[in-house]
Amino acid sequence: MIRRFGILNDRIEPGDAFLYGVPYPGAYVTDEQGRVIAKSFHDTYKKRDSPEILLDAALGRVELDAEAPSAVAVGEDVRVTAAVRGGRGSLRQGIVRKLLVRFEPSPGLHLYGAPVPEGMVPTSVTLEGPEGVVALEPVFPPTKPLRLPGIDAELPVFDGTFDVEVPFYADGRLVSETRPLDAEGVTLTVLARYQACDDEQCLLPRTERLEIAVPLDVVDVPKLGMHRGHGQREGRYDASPHLRRMLLRSVRQSPLGFLRFIGKQVRLELAARRRRRESR
Amino acid sequence: MTIERDEHGFDAPAPLGHPGRLGLPDGHATGPELGDRLPDFCLSDAFGKRVDYHADRGERRSVVVFYRSAVW
Repeated sequence: MIRRFGILNDRIEPGDAFLYGVPYPGAYVTDEQGRVIAKSFHDTYKKRDSPEILLDAALGRVELDAEAPSAVAVGEDVRVTAAVRGGRGSLRQGIVRKLLVRFEPSPGLHLYGAPVPEGMVPTSVTLEGPEGVVALEPVFPPTKPLRLPGIDAELPVFDGTFDVEVPFYADGRLVSETRPLDAEGVTLTVLARYQACDDEQCLLPRTERLEIAVPLDVVDVPKLGMHRGHGQREGRYDASPHLRRMLLRSVRQSPLGFLRFIGKQVRLELAARRRRRESR
Repeated sequence: MTIERDEHGFDAPAPLGHPGRLGLPDGHATGPELGDRLPDFCLSDAFGKRVDYHADRGERRSVVVFYRSAVW
């Protein structure tokens, strides 16, 4: 089935014992006819979307739960709300959450998308955090064209309330699966820049600065000897019988191949130790 | 086992270059594209019951997740 989908991990070789046969991880969201309406594949298996993000894609809307960490900036003309979607806002290694920034302009006002003529400010969102917070490209909703008298160009505008989404995750510098948590939480800073205009005049550009406190969390793993002692939370589910079964199957299928795989692991391990010695 | 950080910024208790740590190469195909119908498949669920994906999905939307070493 993995081959039929065309996502067999072809960097793992048939000789790589029980590892061979796994897919590149990813997710498909389908419509009622089973056709793909959204898909998500990342460059490493340690990065994956929060389940809430997949559900949002399937439902075609974003549902913010009341527990999500959030912050509000109420300007005179625009209200800006920022909230973290997924995992009740916790940051865990590699799990992609979504920063949702909602702009609510007063009636009659609009904000701009990019590009705009010089002198005007398009809406932008920047997510900042401690080292290890990695923000991906912001996703803006589609704009509508607006033609104003006296300007010989169509301006891209956001009409009414709209959301900008910034997918982001934490890497090993902030939260790791190989050490306990360094802190209980961190503060994310959101800079939301915009310029609001009505059909006749523009207000001064503004930058709202919002701070959101989010908790850090370790990853959950099934109980497995090789994981012990790391910064993880072992689940109640014991994976060792399954690992044993996979190892035995691999040995039965190709005893020599299994030995070669062990040899490869030892060589890689020795090279890692050499790198560690040299970096000291 | 040695703990090393990979080029994506993630730590793991396995040396760099270990086949279990290799990720999706840039530009590699990722199966069915937007608009494609997912292939038919029939697999056992956690209780041993056969699930025919398209038949049992009925007329509902779905999320199909391929994962490994899963932690959320």
